[in-house]
Amino acid sequence: MSKVKTHKIIGLRSTLLAIVFFIFIILLSNQFDAYNQSQLTNIATLLIAVFSITLLTGASGQISLGQGAIMAVGGYSSALLVTRLGFSMWISFILAIFISALFGLFLGLAAARLSGPYLAGTTLVMALAIPSIAVRFEGFFSGDVGLSVDYGNPPDWLTNLLGEISIEVWSLYVVLPFTAIALFAVLNLSNTRTGRTWRAVRDNEVAAALAGINIGRTKVIVFVCASGLAGLAGALYGFRGLVAPSVYPTDLSLTLLTAAVIGGLRSIGGAIFGTFAIVFLPDLIEKITKNFAIPENIGTYLPALTIGLLLLITVILNPRGAAGALEHLRHRKRH
Amino acid sequence: MLEITDLVTEFDSVKALNGITFQAKPGLITTVIGANGAGKSTLLRTISGLERPTTGSIKWFDQELTHKSVEAIVRSGIAQVPEGHAVISQLSVAENIELGGLFRRRIARGDLAIATREVYELFPILYERRNEPAGSLSGGERQMLAISRALVSRPKLLLLDEPSLGLAPLISAQIINIVNQLCRSTGLTVLLVEQNANTALAVADHGILLSLGKVVADLPAKIMIADSSLRAAYLGY
Amino acid sequence: MNSFLTALFSGTAQGAIYALVSLGLVLVWRGAGIVNFAQMGQAMFTTYIASQLIQHNYSYWSAFVIALVSGAVLGALVDLGLMRPLTSRKNSQLLNSQSMRTTIPVIASLGILGVLKALAGILWAGEERGFPSPVAPNAIKIGSTNLAITGFDLFVIGVVFLTLVLTTIFFTKTGMGLAMRASALNPEVTRLSGIKVGSVRTLGWAISGTASSLAGLLVTPRTNLSPNTLDLLLIIGFTAAVVGGLSSLAGSVLGGFILGYVISFVNVYSAPENVFIAILAFLLLALFIRPQGILGSKEVRNV
Repeated sequence: MSKVKTHKIIGLRSTLLAIVFFIFIILLSNQFDAYNQSQLTNIATLLIAVFSITLLTGASGQISLGQGAIMAVGGYSSALLVTRLGFSMWISFILAIFISALFGLFLGLAAARLSGPYLAGTTLVMALAIPSIAVRFEGFFSGDVGLSVDYGNPPDWLTNLLGEISIEVWSLYVVLPFTAIALFAVLNLSNTRTGRTWRAVRDNEVAAALAGINIGRTKVIVFVCASGLAGLAGALYGFRGLVAPSVYPTDLSLTLLTAAVIGGLRSIGGAIFGTFAIVFLPDLIEKITKNFAIPENIGTYLPALTIGLLLLITVILNPRGAAGALEHLRHRKRH
Repeated sequence: MLEITDLVTEFDSVKALNGITFQAKPGLITTVIGANGAGKSTLLRTISGLERPTTGSIKWFDQELTHKSVEAIVRSGIAQVPEGHAVISQLSVAENIELGGLFRRRIARGDLAIATREVYELFPILYERRNEPAGSLSGGERQMLAISRALVSRPKLLLLDEPSLGLAPLISAQIINIVNQLCRSTGLTVLLVEQNANTALAVADHGILLSLGKVVADLPAKIMIADSSLRAAYLGY
Repeated sequence: MNSFLTALFSGTAQGAIYALVSLGLVLVWRGAGIVNFAQMGQAMFTTYIASQLIQHNYSYWSAFVIALVSGAVLGALVDLGLMRPLTSRKNSQLLNSQSMRTTIPVIASLGILGVLKALAGILWAGEERGFPSPVAPNAIKIGSTNLAITGFDLFVIGVVFLTLVLTTIFFTKTGMGLAMRASALNPEVTRLSGIKVGSVRTLGWAISGTASSLAGLLVTPRTNLSPNTLDLLLIIGFTAAVVGGLSSLAGSVLGGFILGYVISFVNVYSAPENVFIAILAFLLLALFIRPQGILGSKEVRNV
């Protein structure tokens, strides 16, 4: 039995997909200008956080409106380790995963007792309260000003290998391996026994309990894994330049959820699509509206309006998101 | 007259009712008996609109009920007392009774008061406990309350789903007797679903025997009660 | 002593507003099993409507009434246009799983919140604006001593008290109130009693919309009005509802006042930046000690 498991964890398919994803993004970045390269880094970063929602909501049915707050936990952990204790950036990222996972453990212990809307509300309160902790304990967390951190400079061996690298490309190189590993991890998880256990809890708690699954423990484990992912994303997100309350606002949490929903809550491909959509949509809208004389105040709110409408349309017409729609089409073709 | 024709109700493409046809005559008690899973409860729930039939029709005199909503069916004079002494336990006894007549409060306020007085006369214990929460009642009292809630709507057809389930024999006999008297004195039509065939057939005029979603016997109650081979084949005693 | 009285009075006035928000949330939760995260977005929108009317020289009171009515209409629209079709659809695979049935409405309500905020921004610009109150927000004087309570506080407490009395009468003395309680407790038996549970549910959404709209009108003279102003109120209202018990109307009101005092005392005796942390701590504490809330009943939470 353990043999079967090992076999699946090192699944060939997920390894290949992760590598393909990695290469695809690198190739894509070669076609882009500096601005879009940094947008690509944003995508690679936020994608890890969206995966955490896919895991949490899509695979186990728990809803969190506070993933942005967990990102803040990861961001502050790594930034404090680097600025106060002089850790290397890479080690601080790894430690941020563990610290956020630990945080997720506490959260999960509370969340395991909560269902649907209770959990949603509690995590929303968290999304608002956690950034304010940084302001409250200003001496330690540097308050509203925040902590300045960055990805540093590319090491010599890399510049020797690839020539001069812009800061945007280097940022992408820092983030992308983590994204690929996260992708590999979530792809595997959904195919293993653990993933099936989670889905069983999502679909019917009572039936899962009757099948001998420990519901409480399963929920806590999911929370721990998802929090680790979100924390990593938060650390990477902060190292773009600043870790501060304004970097992790409540809206960030909602944006992440939107990405997961419009792509398809249950699908990893959907998470990728959704993240691309929410990052590039504002740019796209701006490009379109530039050709029309639209008053400034409308332009400011147009992306938010579009994303809100997209969320509603998804929920009404196609709750399984873009991924679900695609599957539906494929299904119909076959028949 | 309640006319049921070729009624089919499916759950996930499993036919719980598989082409049911029978009639229940006005002013009489028709009882539907059968083993567990024969489709008795599904039949009542389909008549009252809680389940949607796939095909077939349900008619009450010249009214087509088949695709009406639950509320509309109740408002046309068909009241169901669902299985398991369905009362709202957090509400008081009086509120449960009031609930049953609520939809008539504008059109027949005076009659509502009379109907309420009548059910309290029928079940004096409910009057004594009218201000207590329904959850504090005993099983038999809850069944009385559930029937009262249905009666204040002044139904012409009463659908009773296993009223004796989980009750002591003495109490269930008492409740069935009261239903019997009601039917004889007011001309109420009763469709009584029971697992306990003997109790039901003893008061009923007509018996319908269901098995696996089909009518296997449609006979006067007196004949059905005497037919031991039928009972042995479908009810196991 | 004086700061204690200040905290007490402002806590009562704030708590009264939180009670309205919490009541609105619980009304919808009990009726439809949905926590409406768009609730204060709706209230923000109707407060903007009132603000626009006042700018166009309508009297405060006519704007007040119109805002309440549009709150009711907006609440009913959310139910009829979105929540009812969403929750009644059975065959979609995603909704087949238990947890998704509660998750999808939450996401839908967040979508409404986003759309309403963006619309308010587009229609009325994002700039913060003031909102008038019918009573001057000055401290009440007896002779020459300032009391710790303002006329506006008294106005708020009075309006909310009146609303709560009317709500109580509605729920305990009227047939429609009974129908609403019954639909929330047992929809099947209620339908079998000939009551249109769907319409009753929509009425619940409308009343909830009115209550939160009122909360918006009462809170914005202090906080000013912007598309995001009322977010905090939702968070506090939710915490209040959980503390009091999501399944209990009386509990939600109680929870609102408790939160009012907690926040007001933290503000006076500690520092305003502690308020968020206090809310989170209070919520977590409540969830650990008494997850069903002070007046809630246990079984409802698992449905």
